[in-house]
Amino acid sequence: MNHSVMIKGTKSGLILVLDKNTDYEELKQEVAKKFDETARFLGEAVLALTFEGRELNTNEQQEIIQIIEEHSQVHIACIVERDEKLEAKFEKSLNEHLMELENNTGMFYKGSLRSGVCLEFESSVVILGDVKEGAKVVSKGNIVILGSLKGNAFAGASGNPNSFVVALDMEPIQIRIADIIARCPDEPKKKKSKAVIPKIAYIDQGNIYIEPLDRESINDIQI
Amino acid sequence: MGEVIVITSGKGGVGKTTTTANVGTGLAKLNKKVVLIDTDIGLRNLDVVMGLENRIVYNLVDVVEGNCRIKQALIKDKRYPNLYLLPSAQTRDKDSVSPEQMKKLAEELKEEFDYILMDCPAGIEQGFKNAIAGADSALVVTTPEVSAVRDADRIIGLLEANEMKNIHLIVNRLRTDMVKRGDMMSADDVVEILAIDLIGVVPDDESIVVATNQGEPLVGNDSMAGQAYMNICRRLIGEEVPLLDLNGKNNIFSKISGLFKKN
Repeated sequence: MNHSVMIKGTKSGLILVLDKNTDYEELKQEVAKKFDETARFLGEAVLALTFEGRELNTNEQQEIIQIIEEHSQVHIACIVERDEKLEAKFEKSLNEHLMELENNTGMFYKGSLRSGVCLEFESSVVILGDVKEGAKVVSKGNIVILGSLKGNAFAGASGNPNSFVVALDMEPIQIRIADIIARCPDEPKKKKSKAVIPKIAYIDQGNIYIEPLDRESINDIQI
Repeated sequence: MGEVIVITSGKGGVGKTTTTANVGTGLAKLNKKVVLIDTDIGLRNLDVVMGLENRIVYNLVDVVEGNCRIKQALIKDKRYPNLYLLPSAQTRDKDSVSPEQMKKLAEELKEEFDYILMDCPAGIEQGFKNAIAGADSALVVTTPEVSAVRDADRIIGLLEANEMKNIHLIVNRLRTDMVKRGDMMSADDVVEILAIDLIGVVPDDESIVVATNQGEPLVGNDSMAGQAYMNICRRLIGEEVPLLDLNGKNNIFSKISGLFKKN
């Protein structure tokens, strides 16, 4: 079995993996052979082609396309360039941009989340209602609950440790921010004696802290 | 090799979860290595009764779907180091797990634990089938009411159809004063109808409500229910224990009637 030429399929077309070390003329024959074998399987199709494994100049690319079209009913519409470094760069900048969006954009959700409901948001979220025991809200950005938080909240789901959770009545079962999880104390909850005040949960030096939402804690928020 | 016990009833609200929590804790008190599995996917309760809700990260569905290892999902009890809980998922439904997957899970846990207790959901559908799939024996819980006994009878029939040999009965929430007045079936009446071995009778006890709300199983304390559950655990591990005298001093009703008699 000769592995100098391999054909892979993608959503929009074919990837032709060519061996670097094989002689170019030999490679051409191998391409012809491969497409003779697979012509029936591929059928009549218009496809995009991507070269991998070997740098080809424009002439060589044209030659190979000609061979493919001669030896099968496939019509190559275009060549798609693939550059892994470039792709990685694109992905990185996209992720950075997304992370920014997660924190700076948000949406509203009106209604209370009852037990068994799990809502996930790509951006920050403001919930106009309660998150009850057994319910969960997950956001890649921040979570603000204009009501009580008695269930689970997970902010910064894509790993942003600067995310925070705010609730008017903060009595969560669990709060997770990025990779840090905090759980409520084990002692049975006492009857409320003090007035309920809004609180914020955030990460500081690897721990989650819950503090009253006052001027000082708001100043510390990083958006 | 451990034993897999399913706690089931058919009817809801008769005390399956309470029984699972107390029997499991009791067995752990008797130095057995125990894991409790909540199979009620979508309506999980056992973690609340055990007071371990705030520790849940992974659950049963995560385990069978391979999102995590079993060890990661097992929650160690805060009181007994040899007691573990595998919580159920709240945001999924019963179809997320198949009987085959439960069987495989039970087999794996058997290697490491003495007792695996499956808390079965009410009903006879998918959840019930999942819970009994890997079980070696069953504890059928019923209350002395015709509706609960009727459902228990149906459940026993289904268990027998699944070739379950070892089925025991727990009569829960018995009120001796009502039995004496003839307003409630006695444990013997229930046993006669269901025709399976009785392993324990648990009296109706206010302290159960308190214990459940606090997330602290009461097995082994001096309440009547606590003693009754401890006796069930002893019988499970093979000890011969006589049935509890439900007219004992701790009975809240006899206390009250005792007060009246003095006057």
